[in-house]
Amino acid sequence: MNSELHPGEAADALAEIQQRQQQVIDRATVPAWYWWVVGALMVVLAVGVDTRTPLAIGITVPVFVVGLLAATGVAVRGQLLDARLREGLLDGRGVVAILAFVALIVGISLAIAFGLRAAGVSYPATIGCGVGGLTMGLFGPVLNRLLRRIMLGNRAGVM
Amino acid sequence: MARARFDELIHAPTRLSIVSLLAASQWADFQFIRDSVGLSDSALSKQLATLEQAGYVEIGRGFVGKRPRTSARLTPAGRAAFEQHVAALQEMVVRSGSTILPK
Repeated sequence: MNSELHPGEAADALAEIQQRQQQVIDRATVPAWYWWVVGALMVVLAVGVDTRTPLAIGITVPVFVVGLLAATGVAVRGQLLDARLREGLLDGRGVVAILAFVALIVGISLAIAFGLRAAGVSYPATIGCGVGGLTMGLFGPVLNRLLRRIMLGNRAGVM
Repeated sequence: MARARFDELIHAPTRLSIVSLLAASQWADFQFIRDSVGLSDSALSKQLATLEQAGYVEIGRGFVGKRPRTSARLTPAGRAAFEQHVAALQEMVVRSGSTILPK
């Protein structure tokens, strides 16, 4: 071991290591706008479902598919081009958090949509997906922060 | 936790930054490393060559469409050396007391 290194310098080196690893994790994290865009696209698709005309479905389905692919491509660009996250940073807790988030959004959207439909309300899927999309926009960044915390906890050099 | 072993090669300031970036990645693009660490192309090439000679880094060259692309990844030996180096730094900090731990 290097006996000439001052403990303060060792602490500075550890801070540098943490900062650089955070840079990679932050680059790979999807931006907050992504959740709002996906939420809006859900509403677009639901309008097509509620309207039930071939023209509306013909427009909304391609908008949903192309929009989702484009938004996802832009959001994960950092992972595709700059740096791919090391395996093991996102452990089982991260996977559970993502699955729980998806279940929450789908559950809220479907429960509201079927409830409103049973009550005879117009545009039930649109309203259900609107609430689901709003939830996604508001809580997507919360999921991001949770995943970031998990990944930072799994990086090298955590004491 | 890895066995503590201070690594002079990794500890050089620029190389510490590069290896830290690579430690969180499966691989990282040359331009991303260059821009993140704030080096010129030639300075980064030199540091990567040093790490490659030590067996710590593998350099990959390929194409994205028609554009040439260079990426770097830590080898298992490089990852082990980095983890041992981090353990050595932590040991120094712990021995001196917790007041200088990085935030």
